[in-house]
Amino acid sequence: MIWIIMVVTGLLNFAMRVSMFSGLFQGAISPSLRSVLRFVPIAVLSAVIAAAVFIDPANGAVSLHIPKVLAAAIAAIIAWITQSVIATIAVGLAAIWIIGALI
Amino acid sequence: MSEARKSSEFWRGVRDQLPLQLGVAPFGLVFGVLGIASGLSEWQTILMSAIVFGGASQVVFAQLWMSGAAPWVVGGSVAVINARHILYSVSVAPYLSALPLRWRIVLGYLLTDEAFAVSIHRFEGAKPDQPVHYHLLGSGLTLWVCWQLSTIFGVQIGATLPPYLNLEFAIPLTFLAIVVPRLRHGPEIAAALCAGLVALVGQDLPWNLWIIVAAVAGIGAGACVDWIRGRL
Repeated sequence: MIWIIMVVTGLLNFAMRVSMFSGLFQGAISPSLRSVLRFVPIAVLSAVIAAAVFIDPANGAVSLHIPKVLAAAIAAIIAWITQSVIATIAVGLAAIWIIGALI
Repeated sequence: MSEARKSSEFWRGVRDQLPLQLGVAPFGLVFGVLGIASGLSEWQTILMSAIVFGGASQVVFAQLWMSGAAPWVVGGSVAVINARHILYSVSVAPYLSALPLRWRIVLGYLLTDEAFAVSIHRFEGAKPDQPVHYHLLGSGLTLWVCWQLSTIFGVQIGATLPPYLNLEFAIPLTFLAIVVPRLRHGPEIAAALCAGLVALVGQDLPWNLWIIVAAVAGIGAGACVDWIRGRL
């Protein structure tokens, strides 16, 4: 079953990537659709971030796990200032290790 | 068209893509580790990187699969996450539409966030007769190879990593690094806040629908604020 889902999602993914130069469409999307698609990465990734930081994986309930929340806040500040993926990951991981060890 | 120009364009793509691998390699590593931790087999984890080939969506795939989500929710979530590729496809279409089908298939498969980011820059800067599709081939293949190798490496070392390293925390950190710098205007901030809140409130929704509902809510909030701002 997992193989079927994997292949189907892989094909879907490929279809979206190739869509506009596949020759099947005119290669144009409306400005309104474009302005909506613009929010897709932010919305999806924010949802994943919120769940990863504030949800306890053991029971699926909202919980304030201090090391995670603090490390995420520190990483967000680093991301805002440096705009660097490496710096954000490095500082965020260091933060969760240090805070986790202290608490 | 001279072979030398094609080859130089290809290697230029490789060179432009290499620095970004500092972010891609750890992400691939984490996915490899996480895939095994989510109960996928080694082959399932490794081949997902080749078949699905989309970092964030593979992570969500593994997490939803682990939590027992329905197949259509897994597929739907991956599709929503990857819908942004349509935008990339639109942007590169003027440069690629005239290529033979086999080229369009290969380049379509290789069109990821990072490959798009470096190659669209080259497309827009190059002279019209430059074989810039070789640039995307170079940058796309570089990322592809790095992603596959780091996934395999993650699968191999996954079992040996102690849980207190919290390596899976690198995933929200990667996404924070992408999202936070974009939060400079009202619509983007509204989209992020709304999606994040709905993701938390919606945890109890059946079939793990929270991710799709949160994404749609966030997109709607962003579009709404955008529309209101346009009216002011």
